[in-house]
Amino acid sequence: MNSQAALQTTNRIIAAILGGYAFTWGFSVLGITSLVALGIDFHEAETGLSLIAFLVFLGLFLWAFAAKSMIRVWLVLAGGAAIMMLIGTVLQNSLLS
Amino acid sequence: MFNSLRMSMGWVHTWMGLVLGFVLMICFFFGALSVFDREIDRWAIPDTRFEPQPMPSFDEVLKPVYEQLRPDPVDMAATERRVVGSLPDPETLELESLFAYTTHRDPVLLIGGEFAIPNEPIDPTDDHQHVHGRATVNPATGELLNDDALKIGSDWFYPMHFSLNFNWMMLGYWIVGLAALVMLAGLVSGVIIHRKIFREFFTFRPWKNLFRSSLDLHNMTGVVALPFHFFFAFTALVIFASNIYLPVTHTTLKPLHEHHEKLEAARTGLPHEPAGVPAPLASVDAMVAEAKRRWAQRDMAGEVGFLSMNHLGDENGYVSIYRAGSDRVALVGEGIHFKASTGEVIREEPPRSAVSSIDEFLTGLHLQHFEHWMLRWLYVFGGLLGAVCIATGFVLFVEKRKARHAKTGSQGSRIVDALAVTTVTGMVLAAVGMLVANRLLPADLPGKGQWEQIAFWSVWALAFLHAAWRSSPVAKARHNPAWREQSLLLGLLSLSAVGLNWITTGDHLIKTVFTDTYWAVAGVDLSLIATALIAFFAAARLRAPVSEQKADNALSRNKQVNAYD
Repeated sequence: MNSQAALQTTNRIIAAILGGYAFTWGFSVLGITSLVALGIDFHEAETGLSLIAFLVFLGLFLWAFAAKSMIRVWLVLAGGAAIMMLIGTVLQNSLLS
Repeated sequence: MFNSLRMSMGWVHTWMGLVLGFVLMICFFFGALSVFDREIDRWAIPDTRFEPQPMPSFDEVLKPVYEQLRPDPVDMAATERRVVGSLPDPETLELESLFAYTTHRDPVLLIGGEFAIPNEPIDPTDDHQHVHGRATVNPATGELLNDDALKIGSDWFYPMHFSLNFNWMMLGYWIVGLAALVMLAGLVSGVIIHRKIFREFFTFRPWKNLFRSSLDLHNMTGVVALPFHFFFAFTALVIFASNIYLPVTHTTLKPLHEHHEKLEAARTGLPHEPAGVPAPLASVDAMVAEAKRRWAQRDMAGEVGFLSMNHLGDENGYVSIYRAGSDRVALVGEGIHFKASTGEVIREEPPRSAVSSIDEFLTGLHLQHFEHWMLRWLYVFGGLLGAVCIATGFVLFVEKRKARHAKTGSQGSRIVDALAVTTVTGMVLAAVGMLVANRLLPADLPGKGQWEQIAFWSVWALAFLHAAWRSSPVAKARHNPAWREQSLLLGLLSLSAVGLNWITTGDHLIKTVFTDTYWAVAGVDLSLIATALIAFFAAARLRAPVSEQKADNALSRNKQVNAYD
């Protein structure tokens, strides 16, 4: 494995683990706040999301290795995480106000 | 970088599987032992070899025991670092909450509580303002049992499978969590890459050699138990999701969480905060009787599995009584809450919602508190199948590369093989070695549990050194003799554990199986004998030398199967 391939592999591993985790985190935040906003009990929403979250993570993890374009992977993972985090926290603030 | 889906999935399967496979071996093997953790405890602590008992009377037996409960010194030290000033004398701290927990397999009762502290936290958002205390009680007499006696099953093997007993920064949990995710990825990627090999399996005559038979076994254990493996890795993540792996509701969504807790306290009538007004405690036995009456009325008569009290000695204090889940998959439940000062029912929990039912069913299937001995054994075999699947993965990795590595002078397969020996036979040696140490060390030795842990790690470290020392033939495309030597040692050690149990306690198999039946100890002894037989069989098979022709086969085969590395 030459150094460029090693760099690409490292990029994919980081994207799969950290990028996937960040996306899953944002997904859970947005999911829970959205369900609570829809009138579902907080702990129900929390439990429901914990059942879905790791399947989402698994899909993202594998996709980070299978995808052709790493730019797209990072756009979706980091961008998706940031957007969902933002909407989720705004939603939380409006639920509490 | 990868030209096809199959290539990329092959890479994930091979390399992520290899690196985290060493961790997964620990999870599957010690997870399998955890199925019988209480029984291993009985074997390791002969003083507790009596029958399981239901929760004893609180008013008569347990109440005086809680008065003897003291804060845990380790937790005192940990709490001291998080608060302003020094903590008061542990003797003066008062309990603010308590619990008692038992299952249908527990002769002993686990009790514990939280001691209130007056100190302010250093971090103002830190709301964990108490010190824990924990003790083990003989429910028949109310006598506190020796804390030095390590429960090797439930306090060492069991936490080993989810935390590696490596608690610094919770790092052990995180490594296991990553391993669980990689297990899921390994199963999915395994199905994707093996589609083609599956067809070849029917087309070509199977090669009768180590590589081929390992591959067959790898596929068989992986595919036959695929739902089992997927389920356990998945629920492992779900069980720790809200507290460790994905604590969104304790961080990002903490404000929403607290808001909900207050709403819920108002709705359920279970006070979130103490009132600050002292109040006495009514008869808890009467509350237990009322809870049992209500369960019977719902046509689910049962025993108490978990009892807890909050805001002790306060007007807002309440007692929660949960039913033991011996007869169904979900854990404790059907909670009924009483006002501590009067004994009146504050709240009876309604039937679970659909989401909670699914969650409790899944996590309950992983944690298995139900009473079903045959299913327990199936769990053990499932866990061991997982271990076989991963161990054969290591063998495949080495067999596929060692001929090529021998030509190029690479040490890669030699290192992997040494680590494989360490995590296969070395790990079992550590577990059995710990049991031998448990029987050799005197029962009244101060800090006996510490010595047992030292024995565990020492045996494992020695197994690694031995495996590494003997591994040089692998670099010449031969087998590591450490596999055979450690198998032999494992057989001898397992038999000596059985013998030592007989000598030190008088409990031999004729007694524990026939004359004075006690399956917990008999089961551990029989499992040790089975381990010894398998180890001797493996050692005998490994004695056969590898012929030159087979080594040549390995070389030519290499060209066909190294598509994705």
